[in-house]
Amino acid sequence: MAEQINEVVEKIFQAGERALGVRWKDGHESSYEIRDLRLKCPCATCVDEWTGEKRINEKQIPADVHPIQIEGVGRYGIRIRWSDSHATGIYTFEWLRSHCPCGRCSRQLKN
Amino acid sequence: MAQSISEQEILNALKVVKDPDLNRDIVSLGFVKKIKIDQGKVSFDLELTTPACPVKEELKKGCEEAVRKLPGVSHVAVELKSHVSSRPQFGQTTVLPQVRNVIAVASGKGGVGKSTVTANLALALSDSGAKVGLLDCDIYGPSIPTMFGVRGKKLESTVDQKILPLKACGISLLSIGFLSDDKTAVIWRGPMVHQIIQQFLTRVEWGELDYLLLDLPPGTGDAQLTITQTVALSGAVIITTPQEVSLIDARKALVMFEKVKVPILGIIENMSYFGCAKCGEVAEIFKRGGAQKIGDEYKVPILGEIPIDPHIVVTGDDGLPIVRAEPDSLTAKIYRMIAGAVAARMSVSNLTLSEAASLNVQWQNK
Repeated sequence: MAEQINEVVEKIFQAGERALGVRWKDGHESSYEIRDLRLKCPCATCVDEWTGEKRINEKQIPADVHPIQIEGVGRYGIRIRWSDSHATGIYTFEWLRSHCPCGRCSRQLKN
Repeated sequence: MAQSISEQEILNALKVVKDPDLNRDIVSLGFVKKIKIDQGKVSFDLELTTPACPVKEELKKGCEEAVRKLPGVSHVAVELKSHVSSRPQFGQTTVLPQVRNVIAVASGKGGVGKSTVTANLALALSDSGAKVGLLDCDIYGPSIPTMFGVRGKKLESTVDQKILPLKACGISLLSIGFLSDDKTAVIWRGPMVHQIIQQFLTRVEWGELDYLLLDLPPGTGDAQLTITQTVALSGAVIITTPQEVSLIDARKALVMFEKVKVPILGIIENMSYFGCAKCGEVAEIFKRGGAQKIGDEYKVPILGEIPIDPHIVVTGDDGLPIVRAEPDSLTAKIYRMIAGAVAARMSVSNLTLSEAASLNVQWQNK
């Protein structure tokens, strides 16, 4: 069972005021706009577990929503405690890597 | 007087000795320490990544031979030491910070002998010189108190309200069995199981440990999820019996650990065969080699095959597992071999992984 190094995190950090940064073991760096990350919260309250339908009302998420604290979940993801009191979402490394918004990754995803 | 030999010459000579598990020479691995040269007499420490290293004697011999070949060396003394390698989170995290390696022992299927295997592995690791703890995560059917002969013992706590594990046979133990009596059933829904396991992981004064083994309940449910989310597990060992009904669930356990990025150290096949003590005939009661099948499928090593041995049952029920009760038995030897394999795989995994030690970020908002 080979380890996928593109899903191993070397560092999680705040990249400026409105972005969360992830440096991966393969050297790649991802930067996520934080409100976008909040809107994509994968938890069962935000996304219907059976249908995959989005349950979140985007208008209800404050424009200045931001993390309060970020902590590791086991060795496969992070949990973000948000300023709007939401804290149930686990962002797995697999999910984060596949949602890297950089030009190269999003082009690869489309192809 | 013969020309004195230099430290560099000794290190150069030792480069031919390779650790077969880590696949590198012992000098570049930094195992050679405290070289002392007194004319023709050379001594040094060989510091391995686990005291349970299955090839430590071979390595020692290899070192002695390599140095003895050098001109001017009349005597070589190698002392075996160990400094257990640890997960990157050791000393950095808030959950079990003093534990170098947290290893889950899981099966998927119930009744395959997880607790028996875990108890004996813990003792075999401890016998090698490691500091070992065992956490019984089976809330509904804890077996560890019986196997260590500490049924009915109660736990104490520290002044800051942390639980102190029980000490038995030289290892630290914790089980829900120490909080309830044998005749009471724990009838809890998931959230309660979640809570107690979280307490076991965060509110216990384990002290410094080289290995903490988690005896998981069967399945892939609440207990397993809580554990894999709360603690950065260093690795997982899967136990299965050889027949297909057990393999099906073992595969599920494998997939679960793969999903949560916990390295699988390997698979142990329990109840592999029965060797008759009288006639020597080997009966493969549940078939044999099932573990090899899923090992091949998932490219996971097989750590060993444990035979069916009535003494395992007797010693377990009597409260002194076979590794300690009958250390010279074949079964105890097999257990020590498997413990060595687990420790070796753990060291390899620690060496190859270089993930973040901590993922915590306090957000700075302007």
